[in-house]
Amino acid sequence: MMDLTQKQWVKHAVMHPVEGFEDMRWKKSGSLKIALFIILLLFFGEIAYGRLYGFQFYISYDKNFNIIPYIVRSFVLFGVWTLGNWAVCTLLDGEGTLKNICIYSAYALIPYTVQLYLNVILSHLLIRDEMVFMDIIKIAGVCWTAMLLFSAVKSVHQYSFGKTVFAIILTVAAMFVMLFLLVLFLSLIQQVIIFISTLYTELSYRARV
Amino acid sequence: MHRFFKRAAVAVLAALAASVCSLGASASGEPYESYNYDRWGDAVPSQAGYTAERAVSGYDLGVGALSDPQDLFFDSDNVLYIADTGNNRIIAADSELRETVHVYDSFTMPDGSETRLNKPMGIFVSAVNGNIYIADSDNSRVLISDKDGNVQGEITKPQSEVYDQRRTFLPQKVIADKAGNVYVVLGNITTGAAMFAPDGSFSGFYGANRVEPTAAIIGNYIRSIFMSDEKKTHRTRTVPTGITGFDIDRDFIFTCTASGTQTTDTVKKLNAAGKNIFADLELSFGDNTPMYATTKNKIMAPSIVDIDVSTDGCINCLDFTTGRVFQYDEDCNLLFITGTLAKQTGGFDHVAAVESLGSDLYVLDSMKDTITVFRETSFGKIVHEAAALHNSGYYEEALGPWQEVLRRDGNYNRAYEGVAAALLRKGDYKGAMKYAKLADAGKIYNKAFEGRRREFLKEHFTAIAAVLALMVAALFAGGRYRKKHGSRSDVKGKEEQP
Repeated sequence: MMDLTQKQWVKHAVMHPVEGFEDMRWKKSGSLKIALFIILLLFFGEIAYGRLYGFQFYISYDKNFNIIPYIVRSFVLFGVWTLGNWAVCTLLDGEGTLKNICIYSAYALIPYTVQLYLNVILSHLLIRDEMVFMDIIKIAGVCWTAMLLFSAVKSVHQYSFGKTVFAIILTVAAMFVMLFLLVLFLSLIQQVIIFISTLYTELSYRARV
Repeated sequence: MHRFFKRAAVAVLAALAASVCSLGASASGEPYESYNYDRWGDAVPSQAGYTAERAVSGYDLGVGALSDPQDLFFDSDNVLYIADTGNNRIIAADSELRETVHVYDSFTMPDGSETRLNKPMGIFVSAVNGNIYIADSDNSRVLISDKDGNVQGEITKPQSEVYDQRRTFLPQKVIADKAGNVYVVLGNITTGAAMFAPDGSFSGFYGANRVEPTAAIIGNYIRSIFMSDEKKTHRTRTVPTGITGFDIDRDFIFTCTASGTQTTDTVKKLNAAGKNIFADLELSFGDNTPMYATTKNKIMAPSIVDIDVSTDGCINCLDFTTGRVFQYDEDCNLLFITGTLAKQTGGFDHVAAVESLGSDLYVLDSMKDTITVFRETSFGKIVHEAAALHNSGYYEEALGPWQEVLRRDGNYNRAYEGVAAALLRKGDYKGAMKYAKLADAGKIYNKAFEGRRREFLKEHFTAIAAVLALMVAALFAGGRYRKKHGSRSDVKGKEEQP
């Protein structure tokens, strides 16, 4: 049984928060292409949520547009989560490979992504008094994604409930460490670039004499 | 010959054109560029609402130089009273500021003796009984006199237990309400203005500022929980900044507080019970994002030293730091920003007081010892007209003036809001949505959108109903089809069952 196409597997995993990922693992299914496509959709969803929201709910500062926060909120956070989870769970006897963690986590983000698009569309149809519908959708999306993410970690590494909680806490800590190092690294690189550019300026002044 | 005339004519025309142009440029001869704030709170160039007409010194009034003047007041007969603090006198001038009506330097006490002023800081003339109230600072009293200089009463340091007797009585500003209650701002009291009954007896404090809960203050409070009482008494206390100036407008008293650090309660509108009507509106007065002045190495945080409410309800706030008058309408929407720190006419050094008469603004500078007269421009007139109509609820009548404002200054944010409100009232939801979007008025947009949605549903009801019916039918049919044939995966799944 359970001979589904890759697209059907996506539906199965999302619709069965408890068993879906277990089935997927048992069938060794899941596509990296679809996973990356979901993250791309998440990225565009974040942008739409920030910029195309209905005017009666939210006013965006549209004098300038900085894409970095949206990249961080989708690609960087997802990448750090995947790497962090892999790094932590390799030490904790997890069975998941980097590829599988990536696929399962991306599938788990589907409800959240759908919620983003749904709310953007609804924000152009509803008025402030009806905002509660959007809140419900948002809460449902976030909770569903949280549940799926938990289930994804649990089945990809074949952990017990308690160990999954422990692994997730450690993963979040690892994410913080990685982000901290990333910021440190970026500012260091900036210093180096400034140093080199100053050196170049200095040299170019000397060379002219 | 003919060609020469032609050339000469062209030259004359060109010269005329040039002079007209330069006239046009110099018509706004203020030493500053006028600006306003857009819907994101960023400063944008704007049309001026006021233009500096002239600066009046003591010599122009024929009373010699003023010295460190501190207050201005127009009484109900349009006579301007100037508290000439350094010269210990009060000057009454006519409304045109051409000549002096009276100079008060000594007053006759009821027993016939003479009394002189010593650093009078504040002046107020009651419209009800015509009495002059003078905050006679260094004499520690408030002097109440009629217009002929006969003293009607005197308010001195209250002997009440509520008033800390170790503190001297330093009246800075004074006003009186319709009932004859006298309110006095004291220089060393932070618990509000002292309030006196008409008979001169002390009846308590009025309108104290709140303490802003900053991180440092909260931290201090938490630390103080664990301290002994003895240690607590030696700590610095957290007190709000005292009121700096006020003005009365029929039933409400407007207060302002000059403080470089305090941001709450800098401008308050108090009702008779002393409750601040602006308290929960999250308003800010003065510049939105204070500029950092590199030459002075300080942030030009607003410090509102005086406030004036004009007869049409506009609130004029005088900012000492930047030398600007920020004018708000009665709903606290910023209308105009006038003035700067400069030597020229229209610029200031140490602003002390602001007063308005009709559509004109008068700003007193205690360093330049002058009074600068600002006249309303034609743009200012339209804005005031539109704002007054809008604020009294005549949205549709305000539409014309607001549109004229937009024709003259497309950056004027408040006008978009006015147009949006007017169009909404008219039922033009589409237009209202467009202007509300431009004005950053989410509330109006929300209402306009609601109306537009209703309209849209009414117009296209048949189409929407048809599409919905079709969709339901399609879903139903699809479901039946799937039930009959079964889905592909289920069939395969059954085959492979072990």
